Amino acid sequence: MSAAAETGARLYFAVQRRRNRDARGLLLVAAAFLALYAYLFPGLLSVGGFAKFSQSWLPLALVSMAQAIIMIAGGVSLAIGAMVSLGAVIAATSMAGPLGVAGGAALVMIVGLAVGAACGAIVVRLGLPAIVVTLAASFIVGGAALLILPRPGGAIPAWLSDLLAGDTPVAAALLVAVVVLWKSYLATPIGLSLYSAGENPVAAYRAGAPVDAARIAAYAASGLLSTCAGLFVAAQTGSGDPVIGEAFTLNSIAAAVLGGVGFLGGRGAMRGAIAGSLLLSVMINVMYFLGFPPVAHYIAQGLIIVGAVALPQFTGRRSGA
Amino acid sequence: MSLSDPVRFPRVRARAILGSRPFLTVLLVAAVWIAASFAKPGFGAFGHLRYLFELGAVVGLVAIGQTFVVIAGGIDLSVGAIITVSAVGAPLVAIPGDGSGAFAILAILAAATAIGFLNGLGVALLRAHPMIMTLAMATFLQGLLILIAGGSAVSAQNPLLEWLGDARPGGVPAGVIVWIFASALALAALHATPFGARVFALGANPLASTLSGIDARATTIAVYAISGFASGVTGLLLLGMNGQGYVGIGDPYLLSSIAAVVLGGTSILGGAGTYAGTIPGAILLVTITALITVVNASPGWRSILFGALVLALLLLSGREARRR
Repeated sequence: MSAAAETGARLYFAVQRRRNRDARGLLLVAAAFLALYAYLFPGLLSVGGFAKFSQSWLPLALVSMAQAIIMIAGGVSLAIGAMVSLGAVIAATSMAGPLGVAGGAALVMIVGLAVGAACGAIVVRLGLPAIVVTLAASFIVGGAALLILPRPGGAIPAWLSDLLAGDTPVAAALLVAVVVLWKSYLATPIGLSLYSAGENPVAAYRAGAPVDAARIAAYAASGLLSTCAGLFVAAQTGSGDPVIGEAFTLNSIAAAVLGGVGFLGGRGAMRGAIAGSLLLSVMINVMYFLGFPPVAHYIAQGLIIVGAVALPQFTGRRSGA
Repeated sequence: MSLSDPVRFPRVRARAILGSRPFLTVLLVAAVWIAASFAKPGFGAFGHLRYLFELGAVVGLVAIGQTFVVIAGGIDLSVGAIITVSAVGAPLVAIPGDGSGAFAILAILAAATAIGFLNGLGVALLRAHPMIMTLAMATFLQGLLILIAGGSAVSAQNPLLEWLGDARPGGVPAGVIVWIFASALALAALHATPFGARVFALGANPLASTLSGIDARATTIAVYAISGFASGVTGLLLLGMNGQGYVGIGDPYLLSSIAAVVLGGTSILGGAGTYAGTIPGAILLVTITALITVVNASPGWRSILFGALVLALLLLSGREARRR
């Protein structure tokens, strides 16, 4: 019994070390950018400055996690942005109404889970390619967001906006809470099967893992994270916007891939995806701070993403593919 | 050259088996058209069907490049941005002494091909994932566009492009003629040349094809360059049809091109498929769009209908056999 536990622990730490090693280069780059940002903007080190920074980072971190879960399960989602928009408009229309903040938040989460699970069920049960299903889903979800709120509007109670996007680093605390939840999710039987279901569904199935359930649950969890990111964005802006999430689809894929999450499933770790979103977020902040014109943002973002993905090619570490 | 002959024979046999997929898509188009012409009297009129083909030419042209890239195992998410760059760029590169506008067309096609070539370089040499490379390229081009066009619409003063957009020699729109020629070329290149065989091999198994002596890098770069060229042609055709280029003109065609390829039965995983399926796929897509416009719904409902119909059609024709 104790021998088995010891082997398990050794295996666990070996896996963790490997995941850390994969994310090391990225963490270095992100830390360098963070240091540059702190040098340019010393206010970052104050509570208020840190709060503002974590608020600009949190939505991107959430959608990157949402994307990473699906990619680890062996898929990819092009509906993340639409889901963020949907979460934002639901929050902005329900919270000021009879449902109240708690009811509105619950509605946002339930819709996220349900839509995500529906996408997952179509991909997994009907055997359609994830990229095409989520592409179609992005139209359906985006259309639903437009129906709920045809033009920017709605309202978020002011106290909620102050709480989530005020001068206190609530956003950072939320991120920590989400990471803890993710770790607990990985400890459940469904979560435990996530990596094996993505790496090799057939082998995982033969080994007795609940492959289909794990993959559908991954889509549901991803939908939940995306709509929650939408809720946060709505709280930030104080209102809902049916197309506010569009940019998140691309950025979520970029952050996850920067973080070493592979497209074939079963590769990469959430810490990588979060570090990737940190890098993107800091990069955008630094460029704003240096007064780059918006044009340069696009150009620099494109160059840096390709550079960061290509970097391992020049530092001698060959990927197995 | 000696490689091509043994490769070609089994591939043609495999295509005969797969032939049912494009055929199924053609049947779907026919069914939708018949149903639509009963439900909506004007739908089956010659003028309207010709209009559908005109719109289908735009989707079909951009889907040529997408078909090559997808069969080779990649995906090109920058086609929308390349279309926009071509449509916005063409009026800007016009030089005074160029009466017919041929110079602008050639310059834009060269630029679009170069963009695709860069995509291919990134995928083949930097080994960036196609999705990331082409997304980053799209982001990059978006920035470039704001820089060169400043966000305002630009009008074309280009006789050749105006002809391309308006002329109907023998009652057939010029864009459709371009599409027919391009389709014949694409089908020949895919199914009757060693290059096409290499594209299929690369998509089926990159490692095995490299070990078999295929230059994976050159082939990869070539398919992305083809995609860039096809997107460039599409952008010019759109500019000719609209008379104006503006930022965002190419955006809808990214999703349409991928949907047309998949509806036509080409495997999104690469290695299997044919452009012969993409053609009815493109027509199917524009038919759906036209039907949704006829329904006269709000933008939200239109988007929901489009997504739901694409999903339903996929269930009928786009089932992916479990591989791996």
